[in-house]
Amino acid sequence: MRSLGLNEILFILAAARWTLLLSACAFVGGSVGGILIALMRSGRIKALRWFAFGYIKLFQGTPLLMQLVLAFFVPGIFGIDVNPWGAAALGLSLHASAFLGEIWRGSIEVVPRGQWESSAALGLRYWSQMRLVVLPQAFRIAIPPTVGFLVQLIKGTSLASIIGFVELTRAAQVINNATFHPFTIFGIVGLTYFALCWPLSAYSKRMERKLALASR
Amino acid sequence: MTRKPVGRRTLGAVALGGAAVLLPGLARRAAAATPDEIKRRGQISVGVLTDYPPFGGIDENQKPAGYDVDVAGLLAKALGVELQLVPVTGPNRIPFLLTNKVDMLIATFGITEERSKQVLFSNPYSAFTTYILAPRSTNIRGPEDLKGVRVGVARASTQDSALMAVAPREVRVMRFDDDATTTQSIISGQVQAIGASSTVLAQLTANYPNLQIEPKFTLRAQANGMAFRKQDEALRDWSNSFIASLVQSGELDRIHQRWFKAPMDPLPPMPQF
Repeated sequence: MRSLGLNEILFILAAARWTLLLSACAFVGGSVGGILIALMRSGRIKALRWFAFGYIKLFQGTPLLMQLVLAFFVPGIFGIDVNPWGAAALGLSLHASAFLGEIWRGSIEVVPRGQWESSAALGLRYWSQMRLVVLPQAFRIAIPPTVGFLVQLIKGTSLASIIGFVELTRAAQVINNATFHPFTIFGIVGLTYFALCWPLSAYSKRMERKLALASR
Repeated sequence: MTRKPVGRRTLGAVALGGAAVLLPGLARRAAAATPDEIKRRGQISVGVLTDYPPFGGIDENQKPAGYDVDVAGLLAKALGVELQLVPVTGPNRIPFLLTNKVDMLIATFGITEERSKQVLFSNPYSAFTTYILAPRSTNIRGPEDLKGVRVGVARASTQDSALMAVAPREVRVMRFDDDATTTQSIISGQVQAIGASSTVLAQLTANYPNLQIEPKFTLRAQANGMAFRKQDEALRDWSNSFIASLVQSGELDRIHQRWFKAPMDPLPPMPQF
């Protein structure tokens, strides 16, 4: 039997880089998807509005765990080989697209109607209205909930352990099965997640306060 | 607080179980992995456990290591190809095999009737016995004493199905992700007994002598086989003669000595269903 030494603890801590990388990938992928979903959902084309609505409901209404399992095993059925890393990045990106899309749709719709009308009166078309008038205002509103979701996303990466992707949680499981020191190991893991998420939460809080001041 | 992870585990079990049931029907009929085809491509990918030492664990460089890994190494050598080890977990090993993510499993995979409906098994290449383990003070002599007792097992394991086969309906089974968390459940008193192998018993005795854990009764003598996709009979046949040659040359016994510090008992015969 192994003992729990520095080597094992370093292995667990080093696995946190995969947690971070996976979160970053999912956030970038989710941002691209999210902006598309938000634009479709708040746009004027009915078919796209319904598509975005369905997409959001589907991904918000099913567990992330299922989405990851499906993203990993379904392509294999059709002969497409995805590794755990690709499947986890894809699954989390699709998941993040739905949530970020909904957050950003809300932020876009909160921008007062008058802003649309007055920019239209200035002769601006949809894309210019969006880019010059609406999005800059929506952006500020969106920051706190977006960062809040990012914290959820970081914690959500732990579910990628089910498909064998070795990130922080999976590394801890493997070491725990070799050394049998669950309290120490999962204590370290919990603290590591906290160290990653807490600064983000604090940042989000600060932005919220700043925004409240700015709009008073 | 404790409900959420259990919910996730259940979901995972359902998801993987569903995948395991659906996949054989859907799985693309890949070109069969035959010994000749593997030799031509010069590489074989083998699924091994990394969370089940000493059968499949990790070494000090955090690479897969153990009894299964040594067997896989010799197998690749006998084929004359490069070995690619793919870490799998107990619950996801069948999906990994059936979606062509590995050529075969050497993953301490107990040969059971249920599993042989989905995969092809080789003859046994390793074996162990699982028991119901509980503190000396607990009065359990046989399955009927498990009425109302909370018993922890690793989910999707053979001790899980063996327990369900013998235990009375009133048993309260708690399923955990792996042996380590199952062990933890008896240490922290969430369950009164667990189903596990003698390896786990040795760990419990060494780490927590004050708990006085002892085997209460035998659940199952488990024979482990390598596993293949249904159509890969040629690879299975080749592996059977490979296992026979390992036994003959005493190589398998040396691997057993290395990981268990004891000579190997004769391998059980292939279970018939």
